[in-house]
Amino acid sequence: MTEREILLKKISTYQFAAFDLQLFLDTHPYDRKTLEKMKEYKALAQPLVAEYEEKFGPLTKSMTSSNHWHWIMGPWPWENEEDC
Amino acid sequence: MFVYEKKLQYPVNIKQTNPKLAKIIITQYGGPDGELGASLRYLSQRFTMPLPELKGTLTDIGTEELGHLEMIGAIVYQLTRGLSEKEIKESGFEDYFVDHTTGIYPQGASGTPFTAAALQVKGDAITDLHENMAAEQGL
Repeated sequence: MTEREILLKKISTYQFAAFDLQLFLDTHPYDRKTLEKMKEYKALAQPLVAEYEEKFGPLTKSMTSSNHWHWIMGPWPWENEEDC
Repeated sequence: MFVYEKKLQYPVNIKQTNPKLAKIIITQYGGPDGELGASLRYLSQRFTMPLPELKGTLTDIGTEELGHLEMIGAIVYQLTRGLSEKEIKESGFEDYFVDHTTGIYPQGASGTPFTAAALQVKGDAITDLHENMAAEQGL
């Protein structure tokens, strides 16, 4: 795996954990322990997302710090690094 | 509305093409129990759900199924990219290829195009939840 892929997988791992807890919270909205755990995973993902976007470009269109429209640059999620 | 995240929910990195396998896997894309059907089912049923828990759950899992759809599309794409004419013919991929080349078309393994006839929206919470359970046991 490339540095980009390793970082993206770390982000996805924390985000998936947070996401699964969010689904649980949909049916248990007053479960404070789960709410705290979900926030914990989101907080773990946050600096990694910032690092990723700094190095490899935006994950969402809210990231605009670049001086050109980086959004369209590959690889897109279904592509391998060597496709670009 | 929806906001796109430029990543797969889980990475797909396929090095070895396999068009025969792609023709089976594509049913999870646009087949009767595929991710597109699941997504439309949940995102459509949610409008008439009576409880906030149900509206929230169906919104979130309907959205997640779109992420699954994208992963399946990536799998089929990577299984079929750069095929030679010989590989297409030998793997039995030519019937798909003649209609779609290596485009990712929402269809079942039998070649039936995606159809909303495989899902139901009744506007009744109990009925719709039972329909969901039946669909989730589809495979």
